[in-house]
Amino acid sequence: MFYSAKVALKSLWFYRWINLLSVLTIATGLFIYGVVLFSLYNLERATQRVPEKFTITVFLKNRTTEKQIQRLVDSLSRERIISRVKYISKEQALEELKDSLADAAYVLEGLDENPLFPSLEIKLNEDAFDKKETELFIKRLKGLEIVEDVFYGEDIFSTIKSLYQNFRVVALTLIVLFSVAVVFVCYSTVKILFFRRKEEIEIYKLLGATKGFIRGPFIFEGTFIGILGGLLASGALYTIFSVLKGFGNPEIPLMRTLELNPIIMVIVPVSGMVLGFIGSIIALGRLKY
Amino acid sequence: MIHFKNVTKIYDNITALRNISFSIEKGEYVFVTGPSGAGKSTLLKLIYLAEKPDEGIISIAGYSTDTLKDRAIPYLRRNIGVVFQDFKLLENKNVYDNIAIALRIRGVGEREIRERVHEALKLVNLRHKADSLPSALSGGEQQRVTIARAIVGEPTVLLADEPTGNLDADNAAGIMKIFREINARGTTILFATHNRDLYKNTGCRVIKLDSGNIVYDDLE
Ligand SMILES: Nc1ncnc2c1ncn2[C@@H]1O[C@H](COP(=O)(O)OP(=O)(O)OP(=O)(O)O)[C@@H](O)[C@H]1O
Ligand SMILES: [Mg+2]
Repeated sequence: MFYSAKVALKSLWFYRWINLLSVLTIATGLFIYGVVLFSLYNLERATQRVPEKFTITVFLKNRTTEKQIQRLVDSLSRERIISRVKYISKEQALEELKDSLADAAYVLEGLDENPLFPSLEIKLNEDAFDKKETELFIKRLKGLEIVEDVFYGEDIFSTIKSLYQNFRVVALTLIVLFSVAVVFVCYSTVKILFFRRKEEIEIYKLLGATKGFIRGPFIFEGTFIGILGGLLASGALYTIFSVLKGFGNPEIPLMRTLELNPIIMVIVPVSGMVLGFIGSIIALGRLKY
Repeated sequence: MIHFKNVTKIYDNITALRNISFSIEKGEYVFVTGPSGAGKSTLLKLIYLAEKPDEGIISIAGYSTDTLKDRAIPYLRRNIGVVFQDFKLLENKNVYDNIAIALRIRGVGEREIRERVHEALKLVNLRHKADSLPSALSGGEQQRVTIARAIVGEPTVLLADEPTGNLDADNAAGIMKIFREINARGTTILFATHNRDLYKNTGCRVIKLDSGNIVYDDLE
């Protein structure tokens, strides 16, 4: 084991240009791999954070009585997925509208009658959030007699949802693709190094070397190249992320919410190691004595 | 120790050895002789398993070619020191490392390696060349490095394929003396050569090959 490492390190240094090239290629591949993981992670987080900002507005029919409203509010308050229900009367709604229009409030002056609907503002319970359940709940609301219409961020909701689902497929494909690429680079590097030392290896075999003794240095080398590429990729990922975060406008909420999970920084070199190992094993194939 | 039973070896369409049978006991010193192309090297290659017999069975130190598992081959080879006809030295490693590798393969510690390599170098009279690369050595010196590597692992069998082929008479005599010493310690030796001078008057057993057949097998 120690001997393998020593031989491998010597060879890494001796063929440093070939190895550097491989490490850079692997680093590039694993960098993209990391970016994919990063995007996947953040998109996943985004879908999970949807309910935080998720408010359902239920517009009630104009003829709805106070009693009916009270009954609805009471029953809604008991729902598991709801954290808060707020009733906004027609009048309140108009006041709010006037407030928000401020100086331009004169546009409302010509109105004889309040054109707005009374409504309920429902905040969802973040902990109990479940997409399916929420969708069913909205359907149920729409079916109620006193409900005029239900407005909720359905567009954003379903967009993010389908974006995430589609991206997951793309991400998986990319990860597999780049894994294969990294394995291939390690494979060809080890293969080249192996062929360069073919005569030496033949002699080792005749002297009684085991397969392990012969393979050891190469596997060590391939694995090491993989880790090195991974570390480089992780470093690049971190640096670029930090720089973008530093330069980026903090007013852009997207920039603020993005996060580089330290686990990704670990996954990338570990993947490099595993892929390098696999590549070396394939490259060495079945040795014959 | 070594038993050949009806062994035939065919390369492509050349029959290098034809239905060969013989036995060598532990501690014997046997010369294998015959003209060029007779099959001497092939016979040795079959023993250290660089080649497989096409027919017949070879058994060495309790291992038999018909039942031998692939993964046992390295361990069997460690019992066999070989002085290759074409040396097979590592060109990018110095003399010391060329000899040490035989022990590194066996997992011997570096400290013991240093002792044993120096001892082997002393035996072949090459201590002053420990740091040289093979390319900086004469043919005779390279041959002696090969001998040192073959014996450093203290094998039970030593196979030597023309180990004096590149040496002058004095050096050759020196090597022959080393081989006798090694044999005196109990190592079985098979010595392939076409040079009759090396075995005449030794009283050793001689196996003479011609075109893949044993034409003589008796004491000199
Ligand atoms: N790898 C090979 N492929 C094909 N033919 C071979 C091979 N090795 C040896 N031969 C043939 O087998 C025959 C015996 O060869 P071998 O090397 O055993 O002879 P040798 O007695 O050692 O000769 P020399 O004294 O010249 O070393 C020769 O005819 C040779 O051409
Ligand atoms: Mg020969």
